Amino acid sequence: MTQWMGYVRPDGTVGARNLVLMLSGTVYANDVCERVADHIYGAVAITHPLGRCQVRPDLRMTRRFLSNTGMNPNVGAVVVVDHFREEGCTAYDIADDIQSATHKPVAVVNIREAGGLISATEKGLRYAADFARMLSDHQREPVPLSELLFGVECGTSDTTSGLASNPSTGICSDLIIAEGGRTIMAECTEWMGCEEWLTGRAVNEAIADQIVAGVQDMERRALASGEDIRGSQPTGDNMVGGLTTIEEKSMGACKKSGSAPIVGYLEIAARPEEMTAGLYVMYGPGHGAESISSMAAAGCQVLVFNAGGGHTSSHPIMPTIKITGNATSYELMKDTVELDVSGVLRDEISLEQAGRMVFDEVVAVASGRLTKSEALKAHNSFAIHRVGVSI
Amino acid sequence: MGRVFVIDREDNVGTAVLEPLKKGETVEAYGRLTGVSVVAQADIAYGHKIALRDIRRGEQVLKYGLSIGTASQDIRAGEHVHVHNVESNRGRGDLAAR
Repeated sequence: MTQWMGYVRPDGTVGARNLVLMLSGTVYANDVCERVADHIYGAVAITHPLGRCQVRPDLRMTRRFLSNTGMNPNVGAVVVVDHFREEGCTAYDIADDIQSATHKPVAVVNIREAGGLISATEKGLRYAADFARMLSDHQREPVPLSELLFGVECGTSDTTSGLASNPSTGICSDLIIAEGGRTIMAECTEWMGCEEWLTGRAVNEAIADQIVAGVQDMERRALASGEDIRGSQPTGDNMVGGLTTIEEKSMGACKKSGSAPIVGYLEIAARPEEMTAGLYVMYGPGHGAESISSMAAAGCQVLVFNAGGGHTSSHPIMPTIKITGNATSYELMKDTVELDVSGVLRDEISLEQAGRMVFDEVVAVASGRLTKSEALKAHNSFAIHRVGVSI
Repeated sequence: MGRVFVIDREDNVGTAVLEPLKKGETVEAYGRLTGVSVVAQADIAYGHKIALRDIRRGEQVLKYGLSIGTASQDIRAGEHVHVHNVESNRGRGDLAAR
Protein backbone atom coordinates (compact mmCIF):
# COMPACT_ATOMS: atom_id res chain seq x y z
CA MET A 1 0.00 0.00 0.00
CA THR A 2 1.21 3.50 -0.86
CA GLN A 3 1.56 5.93 2.00
CA TRP A 4 1.89 9.68 1.98
CA MET A 5 3.05 12.04 4.70
CA GLY A 6 0.45 14.45 6.00
CA TYR A 7 -0.66 16.55 8.96
CA VAL A 8 -3.42 14.81 10.92
CA ARG A 9 -6.01 17.43 12.00
CA PRO A 10 -8.23 17.46 15.12
CA ASP A 11 -11.22 16.22 13.05
CA GLY A 12 -9.21 13.27 11.67
CA THR A 13 -8.74 14.71 8.18
CA VAL A 14 -5.18 14.95 6.85
CA GLY A 15 -3.50 18.01 5.38
CA ALA A 16 -0.89 18.09 2.63
CA ARG A 17 0.09 21.56 3.85
CA ASN A 18 0.16 23.27 7.25
CA LEU A 19 -0.92 26.79 6.37
CA VAL A 20 -2.07 29.81 8.32
CA LEU A 21 -4.94 31.13 6.22
CA MET A 22 -5.73 34.85 6.16
CA LEU A 23 -9.31 34.59 4.93
CA SER A 24 -11.00 37.72 3.69
CA GLY A 25 -14.72 37.83 4.44
CA THR A 26 -15.32 40.77 2.15
CA VAL A 27 -13.62 42.70 -0.63
CA TYR A 28 -12.84 45.54 1.81
CA ALA A 29 -10.68 43.32 4.01
CA ASN A 30 -8.51 41.97 1.17
CA ASP A 31 -5.58 44.32 1.80
CA VAL A 32 -5.37 43.50 5.50
CA CYS A 33 -5.21 39.79 4.65
CA GLU A 34 -2.51 40.36 2.04
CA ARG A 35 -0.42 42.60 4.31
CA VAL A 36 -0.51 40.08 7.14
CA ALA A 37 0.20 37.06 4.92
CA ASP A 38 3.20 38.86 3.41
CA HIS A 39 4.82 39.08 6.84
CA ILE A 40 4.00 35.73 8.43
CA TYR A 41 5.87 32.45 7.95
CA GLY A 42 3.70 29.85 6.25
CA ALA A 43 0.75 32.20 5.80
CA VAL A 44 -1.30 32.66 2.67
CA ALA A 45 -4.14 35.09 1.87
CA ILE A 46 -7.44 34.32 0.19
CA THR A 47 -9.04 37.42 -1.29
CA HIS A 48 -11.97 38.01 -3.64
CA PRO A 49 -14.31 40.81 -4.80
CA LEU A 50 -17.46 39.55 -3.02
CA GLY A 51 -19.14 39.42 0.39
CA ARG A 52 -21.06 42.70 0.11
CA CYS A 53 -24.24 43.73 -1.71
CA GLN A 54 -25.04 40.25 -2.95
CA VAL A 55 -28.45 38.66 -3.38
CA ARG A 56 -29.20 36.02 -0.73
CA PRO A 57 -28.37 32.95 -2.86
CA ASP A 58 -25.04 34.54 -3.75
CA LEU A 59 -24.26 35.47 -0.17
CA ARG A 60 -24.93 31.86 0.83
CA MET A 61 -22.64 30.72 -2.01
CA THR A 62 -19.88 33.10 -0.87
CA ARG A 63 -20.19 31.87 2.70
CA ARG A 64 -20.05 28.22 1.58
CA PHE A 65 -16.93 28.80 -0.54
CA LEU A 66 -15.15 30.75 2.23
CA SER A 67 -16.15 28.54 5.18
CA ASN A 68 -15.49 25.28 3.37
CA THR A 69 -12.12 26.52 2.11
CA GLY A 70 -11.19 27.29 5.71
CA MET A 71 -12.20 23.72 6.63
CA ASN A 72 -9.76 22.23 4.06
CA PRO A 73 -7.22 20.11 5.99
CA ASN A 74 -4.32 21.90 4.25
CA VAL A 75 -5.22 24.83 6.50
CA GLY A 76 -3.93 24.49 10.06
CA ALA A 77 -5.38 27.72 11.44
CA VAL A 78 -7.47 30.60 10.12
CA VAL A 79 -7.77 34.34 10.72
CA VAL A 80 -11.01 35.63 9.18
CA VAL A 81 -11.11 39.36 8.48
CA ASP A 82 -14.01 41.65 7.62
CA HIS A 83 -14.68 45.35 7.95
CA PHE A 84 -18.32 45.56 8.90
CA ARG A 85 -21.18 43.16 9.41
CA GLU A 86 -22.93 41.83 6.33
CA GLU A 87 -25.77 39.86 7.82
CA GLY A 88 -25.50 36.16 7.00
CA CYS A 89 -21.85 36.22 5.96
CA THR A 90 -19.82 37.91 8.71
CA ALA A 91 -16.32 36.90 9.70
CA TYR A 92 -17.94 35.57 12.89
CA ASP A 93 -20.31 33.36 10.87
CA ILE A 94 -17.45 32.02 8.75
CA ALA A 95 -15.21 31.44 11.78
CA ASP A 96 -18.06 29.63 13.51
CA ASP A 97 -18.68 27.37 10.51
CA ILE A 98 -14.99 26.42 10.33
CA GLN A 99 -14.47 25.90 14.05
CA SER A 100 -17.63 23.89 14.68
CA ALA A 101 -16.91 21.57 11.74
CA THR A 102 -13.18 21.05 12.27
CA HIS A 103 -12.17 22.27 15.77
CA LYS A 104 -9.11 23.96 14.27
CA PRO A 105 -7.84 27.27 15.74
CA VAL A 106 -9.75 30.21 14.25
CA ALA A 107 -9.61 33.94 15.08
CA VAL A 108 -11.65 36.90 13.86
CA VAL A 109 -10.52 40.43 13.09
CA ASN A 110 -13.23 43.01 12.44
CA ILE A 111 -11.57 46.13 11.11
CA ARG A 112 -14.11 48.55 12.58
CA GLU A 113 -14.10 46.89 15.99
CA ALA A 114 -10.28 46.82 15.96
CA GLY A 115 -10.21 50.59 15.53
CA GLY A 116 -9.30 50.84 11.87
CA LEU A 117 -6.96 49.45 9.26
CA ILE A 118 -3.69 49.86 11.16
CA SER A 119 -4.95 48.31 14.39
CA ALA A 120 -6.66 45.51 12.47
CA THR A 121 -3.41 44.72 10.65
CA GLU A 122 -1.54 44.59 13.95
CA LYS A 123 -4.20 42.33 15.46
CA GLY A 124 -4.05 40.06 12.40
CA LEU A 125 -0.26 39.87 12.59
CA ARG A 126 -0.37 38.86 16.26
CA TYR A 127 -2.97 36.12 15.70
CA ALA A 128 -1.19 34.81 12.61
CA ALA A 129 2.27 34.82 14.25
CA ASP A 130 0.91 32.86 17.22
CA PHE A 131 -0.77 30.37 14.89
CA ALA A 132 2.41 29.98 12.81
CA ARG A 133 4.39 29.01 15.91
CA MET A 134 1.62 26.72 17.15
CA LEU A 135 1.46 24.91 13.78
CA SER A 136 5.23 24.51 13.64
CA ASP A 137 4.92 21.88 16.39
CA HIS A 138 2.89 19.63 14.08
CA GLN A 139 4.80 16.89 12.26
CA ARG A 140 3.88 14.93 9.14
CA GLU A 141 2.81 11.32 9.72
CA PRO A 142 2.46 8.41 7.29
CA VAL A 143 -1.17 7.95 6.21
CA PRO A 144 -2.89 5.77 3.57
CA LEU A 145 -4.29 7.05 0.28
CA SER A 146 -7.78 6.60 1.72
CA GLU A 147 -7.06 9.97 3.41
CA LEU A 148 -6.53 11.66 0.05
CA LEU A 149 -9.22 13.65 -1.74
CA PHE A 150 -7.80 14.28 -5.20
CA GLY A 151 -9.08 16.91 -7.64
CA VAL A 152 -8.86 16.81 -11.44
CA GLU A 153 -9.25 19.75 -13.81
CA CYS A 154 -8.42 20.66 -17.40
CA GLY A 155 -8.00 23.90 -19.29
CA THR A 156 -6.23 25.39 -22.34
CA SER A 157 -7.12 22.05 -23.93
CA ASP A 158 -5.65 21.09 -27.29
CA THR A 159 -5.30 17.97 -29.44
CA THR A 160 -2.89 16.45 -26.93
CA SER A 161 -5.15 16.93 -23.87
CA GLY A 162 -7.68 14.20 -24.62
CA LEU A 163 -4.98 11.75 -25.75
CA ALA A 164 -2.11 12.27 -23.28
CA SER A 165 -2.53 14.41 -20.15
CA ASN A 166 -6.21 13.72 -19.37
CA PRO A 167 -5.98 9.92 -19.79
CA SER A 168 -2.71 9.86 -17.79
CA THR A 169 -4.40 11.74 -14.96
CA GLY A 170 -7.34 9.35 -15.22
CA ILE A 171 -4.97 6.40 -14.72
CA CYS A 172 -3.49 8.22 -11.69
CA SER A 173 -7.01 8.68 -10.30
CA ASP A 174 -7.78 4.98 -10.78
CA LEU A 175 -4.57 4.07 -8.89
CA ILE A 176 -5.55 6.38 -6.00
CA ILE A 177 -9.09 4.98 -5.85
CA ALA A 178 -7.79 1.39 -5.99
CA GLU A 179 -5.98 2.18 -2.73
CA GLY A 180 -9.12 3.56 -1.08
CA GLY A 181 -8.85 7.20 -2.13
CA ARG A 182 -11.43 9.59 -3.53
CA THR A 183 -11.35 11.82 -6.62
CA ILE A 184 -13.53 14.80 -7.53
CA MET A 185 -14.26 15.92 -11.08
CA ALA A 186 -16.25 19.15 -11.51
CA GLU A 187 -17.00 21.22 -14.66
CA CYS A 188 -20.38 19.73 -15.59
CA THR A 189 -20.39 21.82 -18.78
CA GLU A 190 -17.79 19.33 -19.99
CA TRP A 191 -19.96 16.32 -19.28
CA MET A 192 -22.29 17.49 -22.05
CA GLY A 193 -22.10 14.92 -24.81
CA CYS A 194 -20.80 12.05 -22.72
CA GLU A 195 -23.53 11.89 -20.10
CA GLU A 196 -24.26 8.28 -21.04
CA TRP A 197 -20.68 7.21 -20.39
CA LEU A 198 -20.82 8.92 -16.98
CA THR A 199 -24.29 7.73 -15.99
CA GLY A 200 -23.18 4.20 -16.92
CA ARG A 201 -20.46 4.51 -14.29
CA ALA A 202 -22.82 5.77 -11.55
CA VAL A 203 -23.38 3.24 -8.78
CA ASN A 204 -27.07 4.04 -8.55
CA GLU A 205 -29.87 5.66 -10.50
CA ALA A 206 -30.15 8.68 -8.22
CA ILE A 207 -26.59 9.72 -9.05
CA ALA A 208 -27.17 9.05 -12.76
CA ASP A 209 -30.26 11.30 -12.67
CA GLN A 210 -28.31 14.04 -10.87
CA ILE A 211 -25.58 13.94 -13.53
CA VAL A 212 -28.11 14.48 -16.33
CA ALA A 213 -29.95 17.16 -14.33
CA GLY A 214 -26.70 18.97 -13.56
CA VAL A 215 -25.79 19.30 -17.24
CA GLN A 216 -29.32 20.42 -18.11
CA ASP A 217 -29.33 23.00 -15.32
CA MET A 218 -26.02 24.53 -16.42
CA GLU A 219 -27.27 24.65 -20.00
CA ARG A 220 -30.54 26.30 -18.90
CA ARG A 221 -28.69 28.93 -16.86
CA ALA A 222 -26.46 29.77 -19.82
CA LEU A 223 -29.47 29.95 -22.14
CA ALA A 224 -31.21 32.35 -19.74
CA SER A 225 -28.29 34.71 -20.23
CA GLY A 226 -28.49 34.37 -24.02
CA GLU A 227 -25.72 31.80 -24.55
CA ASP A 228 -26.51 28.51 -26.27
CA ILE A 229 -23.50 26.55 -25.03
CA ARG A 230 -24.59 23.44 -26.89
CA GLY A 231 -24.72 25.43 -30.13
CA SER A 232 -21.09 26.44 -29.76
CA GLN A 233 -19.81 22.95 -29.03
CA PRO A 234 -17.50 21.99 -30.48
CA THR A 235 -16.32 25.50 -31.37
CA GLY A 236 -15.08 26.46 -34.82
CA ASP A 237 -11.53 26.43 -33.47
CA ASN A 238 -12.07 22.93 -32.08
CA MET A 239 -13.17 21.70 -35.52
CA VAL A 240 -10.17 23.29 -37.24
CA GLY A 241 -8.05 21.47 -34.63
CA GLY A 242 -9.63 18.15 -35.59
CA LEU A 243 -12.42 17.67 -33.02
CA THR A 244 -15.51 16.45 -34.83
CA THR A 245 -18.34 16.17 -32.29
CA ILE A 246 -19.23 17.26 -28.77
CA GLU A 247 -19.00 13.60 -27.72
CA GLU A 248 -15.35 13.52 -28.78
CA LYS A 249 -14.56 16.81 -27.04
CA SER A 250 -16.30 15.85 -23.79
CA MET A 251 -14.84 12.35 -23.65
CA GLY A 252 -11.38 13.81 -24.06
CA ALA A 253 -12.06 16.11 -21.09
CA CYS A 254 -13.75 13.48 -18.91
CA LYS A 255 -10.93 10.98 -19.49
CA LYS A 256 -9.19 12.76 -16.60
CA SER A 257 -11.70 11.02 -14.33
CA GLY A 258 -10.33 7.59 -15.23
CA SER A 259 -12.68 4.62 -15.23
CA ALA A 260 -13.64 4.20 -11.56
CA PRO A 261 -17.29 4.00 -10.46
CA ILE A 262 -19.06 7.30 -9.68
CA VAL A 263 -20.08 6.95 -6.04
CA GLY A 264 -21.36 10.45 -5.28
CA TYR A 265 -22.77 13.66 -6.72
CA LEU A 266 -21.85 16.92 -4.99
CA GLU A 267 -23.32 20.39 -5.18
CA ILE A 268 -20.75 23.05 -6.01
CA ALA A 269 -18.13 23.54 -3.25
CA ALA A 270 -19.87 20.97 -1.01
CA ARG A 271 -17.82 18.60 1.15
CA PRO A 272 -18.42 14.90 0.50
CA GLU A 273 -19.93 13.35 3.62
CA GLU A 274 -18.80 9.83 2.79
CA MET A 275 -15.37 8.24 2.77
CA THR A 276 -16.39 5.65 0.14
CA ALA A 277 -13.55 5.18 -2.35
CA GLY A 278 -14.40 6.23 -5.89
CA LEU A 279 -15.14 9.17 -8.13
CA TYR A 280 -17.35 12.05 -6.99
CA VAL A 281 -18.73 14.40 -9.62
CA MET A 282 -19.48 18.01 -8.72
CA TYR A 283 -21.88 20.52 -10.24
CA GLY A 284 -20.15 23.63 -11.49
CA PRO A 285 -18.93 25.69 -14.43
CA GLY A 286 -15.93 25.15 -16.68
CA HIS A 287 -14.38 28.40 -15.39
CA GLY A 288 -11.00 27.12 -14.19
CA ALA A 289 -10.51 29.24 -11.06
CA GLU A 290 -14.11 28.74 -9.86
CA SER A 291 -13.90 25.05 -10.59
CA ILE A 292 -10.66 24.36 -8.73
CA SER A 293 -11.82 26.62 -5.88
CA SER A 294 -14.98 24.54 -5.57
CA MET A 295 -12.83 21.40 -5.26
CA ALA A 296 -10.53 23.06 -2.69
CA ALA A 297 -13.68 23.98 -0.73
CA ALA A 298 -14.78 20.34 -0.92
CA GLY A 299 -11.53 19.45 0.85
CA CYS A 300 -9.22 18.31 -1.96
CA GLN A 301 -5.62 18.37 -0.70
CA VAL A 302 -4.00 18.14 -4.15
CA LEU A 303 -5.25 18.82 -7.67
CA VAL A 304 -3.93 17.97 -11.12
CA PHE A 305 -4.64 20.58 -13.77
CA ASN A 306 -4.17 19.25 -17.31
CA ALA A 307 -3.25 22.04 -19.65
CA GLY A 308 -2.47 21.37 -23.32
CA GLY A 309 -1.38 24.97 -23.76
CA GLY A 310 0.36 25.13 -20.38
CA HIS A 311 -1.07 27.13 -17.46
CA THR A 312 -0.30 29.40 -14.52
CA SER A 313 -3.35 28.40 -12.47
CA SER A 314 -2.59 27.76 -8.81
CA HIS A 315 -4.92 27.73 -5.81
CA PRO A 316 -3.68 29.47 -2.63
CA ILE A 317 -4.21 26.48 -0.30
CA MET A 318 -4.40 23.47 -2.64
CA PRO A 319 -1.19 22.51 -4.48
CA THR A 320 -2.07 22.64 -8.17
CA ILE A 321 0.08 20.32 -10.31
CA LYS A 322 0.11 21.26 -14.00
CA ILE A 323 0.59 18.64 -16.71
CA THR A 324 0.80 18.97 -20.47
CA GLY A 325 1.06 16.51 -23.33
CA ASN A 326 2.35 19.25 -25.64
CA ALA A 327 6.16 19.51 -25.66
CA THR A 328 6.09 23.06 -27.08
CA SER A 329 3.75 24.22 -24.31
CA TYR A 330 6.02 22.65 -21.74
CA GLU A 331 9.04 24.52 -23.12
CA LEU A 332 7.12 27.81 -23.08
CA MET A 333 5.40 27.34 -19.72
CA LYS A 334 7.75 25.17 -17.67
CA ASP A 335 8.06 27.87 -14.98
CA THR A 336 4.69 26.68 -13.70
CA VAL A 337 4.14 23.27 -15.39
CA GLU A 338 5.45 20.24 -13.51
CA LEU A 339 5.10 17.36 -15.95
CA ASP A 340 5.45 16.83 -19.69
CA VAL A 341 3.76 13.59 -20.80
CA SER A 342 4.21 14.24 -24.54
CA GLY A 343 6.36 11.08 -24.64
CA VAL A 344 3.06 9.17 -24.87
CA LEU A 345 2.35 10.69 -28.28
CA ARG A 346 5.93 10.13 -29.49
CA ASP A 347 5.55 6.44 -28.52
CA GLU A 348 8.36 6.76 -25.96
CA ILE A 349 6.27 5.90 -22.90
CA SER A 350 2.93 4.14 -22.48
CA LEU A 351 -0.14 5.83 -21.02
CA GLU A 352 0.25 3.50 -18.03
CA GLN A 353 3.81 4.78 -17.46
CA ALA A 354 2.62 8.37 -17.80
CA GLY A 355 -0.19 7.64 -15.33
CA ARG A 356 2.36 6.29 -12.88
CA MET A 357 4.47 9.47 -13.33
CA VAL A 358 1.43 11.58 -12.46
CA PHE A 359 0.65 9.35 -9.47
CA ASP A 360 4.22 9.61 -8.15
CA GLU A 361 4.11 13.41 -8.48
CA VAL A 362 0.75 13.59 -6.67
CA VAL A 363 2.03 11.48 -3.77
CA ALA A 364 5.25 13.53 -3.56
CA VAL A 365 3.40 16.86 -3.61
CA ALA A 366 0.86 15.62 -1.04
CA SER A 367 3.83 14.70 1.14
CA GLY A 368 5.41 18.14 0.95
CA ARG A 369 7.18 18.63 -2.39
CA LEU A 370 6.39 22.18 -3.50
CA THR A 371 4.70 22.74 -6.83
CA LYS A 372 6.50 25.18 -9.10
CA SER A 373 3.76 27.75 -8.43
CA GLU A 374 4.10 27.31 -4.68
CA ALA A 375 7.85 27.86 -4.89
CA LEU A 376 7.09 31.11 -6.73
CA LYS A 377 4.29 32.08 -4.30
CA ALA A 378 2.17 32.32 -7.44
CA HIS A 379 -1.36 31.88 -6.12
CA ASN A 380 -3.86 33.30 -8.57
CA SER A 381 -6.81 30.95 -8.68
CA PHE A 382 -9.33 31.60 -5.94
CA ALA A 383 -12.75 32.50 -7.33
CA ILE A 384 -16.29 32.16 -6.02
CA HIS A 385 -19.10 30.97 -8.27
CA ARG A 386 -21.92 33.50 -8.69
CA VAL A 387 -25.61 32.90 -9.13
CA GLY A 388 -27.20 36.34 -9.49
CA VAL A 389 -26.53 40.06 -9.82
CA SER A 390 -24.81 42.49 -7.47
CA ILE A 391 -27.24 44.76 -5.64
CA MET B 1 5.56 6.42 -43.43
CA GLY B 2 2.98 8.23 -41.32
CA ARG B 3 1.84 7.24 -37.84
CA VAL B 4 -1.41 7.77 -35.93
CA PHE B 5 -2.04 7.45 -32.20
CA VAL B 6 -4.89 5.15 -31.14
CA ILE B 7 -6.19 5.51 -27.57
CA ASP B 8 -8.29 2.33 -27.39
CA ARG B 9 -7.88 -1.03 -29.13
CA GLU B 10 -11.57 -1.00 -30.15
CA ASP B 11 -11.22 2.28 -32.06
CA ASN B 12 -11.79 2.55 -35.80
CA VAL B 13 -10.01 5.92 -36.07
CA GLY B 14 -6.51 7.14 -35.19
CA THR B 15 -5.23 10.70 -34.68
CA ALA B 16 -2.24 12.36 -36.36
CA VAL B 17 -0.27 13.80 -33.43
CA LEU B 18 3.29 13.63 -34.79
CA GLU B 19 3.19 14.94 -38.37
CA PRO B 20 0.39 15.72 -40.84
CA LEU B 21 -0.35 12.76 -43.11
CA LYS B 22 0.27 12.87 -46.86
CA LYS B 23 -2.08 11.37 -49.43
CA GLY B 24 -0.78 8.03 -50.64
CA GLU B 25 1.55 7.33 -47.73
CA THR B 26 1.26 4.25 -45.56
CA VAL B 27 0.01 5.10 -42.08
CA GLU B 28 0.65 2.83 -39.12
CA ALA B 29 -1.26 2.75 -35.82
CA TYR B 30 0.51 2.96 -32.45
CA GLY B 31 -0.54 3.44 -28.84
CA ARG B 32 -3.15 0.94 -27.69
CA LEU B 33 -3.65 -0.55 -31.15
CA THR B 34 -0.69 -1.85 -33.13
CA GLY B 35 -0.22 -4.01 -36.20
CA VAL B 36 -2.74 -2.03 -38.30
CA SER B 37 -1.77 0.09 -41.28
CA VAL B 38 -3.75 1.88 -43.98
CA VAL B 39 -2.95 4.09 -46.98
CA ALA B 40 -3.94 7.74 -46.51
CA GLN B 41 -6.59 8.69 -49.08
CA ALA B 42 -6.11 12.43 -48.51
CA ASP B 43 -3.75 14.89 -46.85
CA ILE B 44 -4.73 14.88 -43.17
CA ALA B 45 -3.79 17.74 -40.85
CA TYR B 46 -2.21 17.51 -37.39
CA GLY B 47 -4.85 16.66 -34.79
CA HIS B 48 -7.21 15.16 -37.37
CA LYS B 49 -8.43 11.57 -37.65
CA ILE B 50 -8.02 8.80 -40.23
CA ALA B 51 -10.22 5.70 -40.64
CA LEU B 52 -8.34 2.54 -39.68
CA ARG B 53 -10.85 0.32 -41.48
CA ASP B 54 -13.93 0.67 -43.63
CA ILE B 55 -16.77 2.26 -41.67
CA ARG B 56 -20.22 1.86 -43.21
CA ARG B 57 -22.83 4.61 -43.25
CA GLY B 58 -24.78 4.40 -39.99
CA GLU B 59 -21.94 2.65 -38.15
CA GLN B 60 -20.52 4.20 -34.97
CA VAL B 61 -17.19 6.02 -35.15
CA LEU B 62 -15.19 4.81 -32.16
CA LYS B 63 -12.52 6.74 -30.22
CA TYR B 64 -11.74 6.04 -26.54
CA GLY B 65 -13.55 2.75 -27.25
CA LEU B 66 -16.78 4.78 -27.30
CA SER B 67 -18.99 6.29 -29.97
CA ILE B 68 -18.09 9.85 -30.92
CA GLY B 69 -20.79 9.94 -33.60
CA THR B 70 -22.35 8.11 -36.53
CA ALA B 71 -20.85 7.80 -40.02
CA SER B 72 -23.07 9.89 -42.32
CA GLN B 73 -21.66 8.14 -45.40
CA ASP B 74 -19.51 5.13 -46.18
CA ILE B 75 -15.95 5.84 -45.06
CA ARG B 76 -13.11 3.82 -46.58
CA ALA B 77 -10.01 2.83 -44.62
CA GLY B 78 -7.47 5.67 -44.92
CA GLU B 79 -10.03 8.43 -45.43
CA HIS B 80 -10.13 11.61 -43.40
CA VAL B 81 -12.80 11.29 -40.68
CA HIS B 82 -14.35 14.59 -39.67
CA VAL B 83 -17.50 16.73 -39.81
CA HIS B 84 -18.06 15.96 -43.52
CA ASN B 85 -18.66 12.26 -42.85
CA VAL B 86 -19.55 12.02 -39.13
CA GLU B 87 -22.61 13.31 -37.32
CA SER B 88 -22.95 13.77 -33.61
CA ASN B 89 -25.50 11.58 -31.90
CA ARG B 90 -26.21 14.54 -29.63
CA GLY B 91 -27.48 16.88 -32.36
CA ARG B 92 -25.17 19.18 -34.23
CA GLY B 93 -25.62 22.47 -32.42
CA ASP B 94 -23.42 24.38 -34.83
CA LEU B 95 -25.78 23.51 -37.68
CA ALA B 96 -28.93 24.00 -35.64
CA ALA B 97 -27.75 27.49 -34.75
CA ARG B 98 -27.58 28.56 -38.41
